[in-house]
Amino acid sequence: MNATALPAAVMPAGHRLGAWAPAVVVFLALALLPVVFEGYVVYILPQYMLFGVMAMSLALLWGQTGILSFGQAGFFAIGGYAIGIGMSHELPINPAYIGILTGILVCAVTAALIGYFLFSAGVRDSYFVLVTLALSIMVEQIAVSQSELTGGWNGMFIMRPILTAPGLELPLDGDVSIYYVVLVVAAAVYAGLRALTTARFGKILVGIRENETRMEALGYRTVLYKTAAFALSAGIAGLAGALYGTHAGFVSPSLGGALFSTEAVVWVAVAGRSSLLAAFLGGVIVSSLSNYLSALTPGLWQLFMGLLFIAAITLFRGGIAGFLGRLPARRRAMP
Amino acid sequence: MSPILAVQGLGKRFQGLVANTDIAFTLQPGEIRSIIGPNGAGKTTFISLISGHLTPTTGRILYKGSDVTGLSVARRAQLGIARKFQTPSLFDSLSAYENIELAVLRSRPRSRGHAARIGEVLELVRLADQRHAVAKHLSHGQRQWLEIGLLLANNAELLLLDEPTAGMTAEETHATGILVRSLAREFGLSAIIIEHDINFIRDLDAPVTVLHLGRVLVEGSFAAVAADPRVRDVYLGNG
Repeated sequence: MNATALPAAVMPAGHRLGAWAPAVVVFLALALLPVVFEGYVVYILPQYMLFGVMAMSLALLWGQTGILSFGQAGFFAIGGYAIGIGMSHELPINPAYIGILTGILVCAVTAALIGYFLFSAGVRDSYFVLVTLALSIMVEQIAVSQSELTGGWNGMFIMRPILTAPGLELPLDGDVSIYYVVLVVAAAVYAGLRALTTARFGKILVGIRENETRMEALGYRTVLYKTAAFALSAGIAGLAGALYGTHAGFVSPSLGGALFSTEAVVWVAVAGRSSLLAAFLGGVIVSSLSNYLSALTPGLWQLFMGLLFIAAITLFRGGIAGFLGRLPARRRAMP
Repeated sequence: MSPILAVQGLGKRFQGLVANTDIAFTLQPGEIRSIIGPNGAGKTTFISLISGHLTPTTGRILYKGSDVTGLSVARRAQLGIARKFQTPSLFDSLSAYENIELAVLRSRPRSRGHAARIGEVLELVRLADQRHAVAKHLSHGQRQWLEIGLLLANNAELLLLDEPTAGMTAEETHATGILVRSLAREFGLSAIIIEHDINFIRDLDAPVTVLHLGRVLVEGSFAAVAADPRVRDVYLGNG
């Protein structure tokens, strides 16, 4: 028995290595892209990568923990406004850094409070979805109404930041320099979340997704883990939003709101919520595709995205990544 | 020896329905106790009150001498009170190994040697060669054992087993009896077992508590309880 069990026991290490390879290819390709291309692609891609980071924040919550949130757009917008407000002030430390950190903190604390309150009250998943949707809409409304701070409907213009470190001062005005900053952040978020999901914390989140009652009966205080996952997810969405704001140079209330939060859910559903890399690529590819299609056929793209979403939910649950992941198994099952 | 579990005046009322009334119950460390009774006798309610899934209307629950009546399910589990549900509650899409791992990650958050401990538990519950099998693909009996494995890996000291042999073959039922007895003997675990399978209860040869209409009707050895006319009455439906 032991002899047959051994190869199987060795497998996971090789399996993990195999799972890192696609991510290395993706981020390496993104790193080489500005060498080959220039112009609009290099300018716009960081914004899509930041949508990808936002999508990863949702994958952590939805794919790993089983909690769907429509609040990611709200957190994204909070991040964008935080860096905008931070950079409009004279601060002793780099205002961009202060703005980003504030954005992350406000998002994480907001999510922690809402999460703890709702999870310990034992609200059902569907109510949680509604509350997070309301949160996104509230952020949009606050951005509209607090016009002295946010510019209201007109939005808010934001400068490009200066990258500072001891002995370094690099203005990120150039498209290439900010491209690499965003790429490094995206890769770091991927690597960090990847490590987290395979560590104890990540395994506990999977346990909660699979059977929360059982986890509680094993002695886990599941409310705390869910709250932590939601806060972390919100913080990452806030980070992405802050970098988006300074890259795009402009934030407006529609960054929050129902439409953008639904789009984020669609990216992740279509690409596959159970894979961080799929979620990242979903954010990059589906959002760029929808921008392209909306320019081409303004009336039809929303219909197209809707159909794609329905297909992802009904036909191949787990999205494209889930579908591809099952392919080898099917082939093997066939005679 | 001080009891591992002492229950006094325990009662539970659901609106108009009285599920448990004035239950007094004591369990010694290393003791196995069977609980039997007709449907609706309040057996699962009793287990739920001890595990913390229900809050009692009256009475106190002392575990190892300290009052746990107000503690949450998670807190009681951390103290060593572990429940096996009537329908096995597992991580269905995870492997047997990953199921046990989640219990070990709780009971030993920092220490190393998780793989060895998981292997040990899988061996105990006879699932060593099913370690990579997904839980939902295991047989009824294997799923029951996997859940018992979860409790062991969680360093349980008091096992609350709600119908552990449901869906098992005769051979598996017999093996379960041997397993529970060996856990009590070798590791000093205590267990409260609800069962309908009277052959299993007889084989277990442990003291029996009979519940009827939410009250303790009789307590004693299997032979004494089986011979008691009141027990015969309630099982024949005259009670």
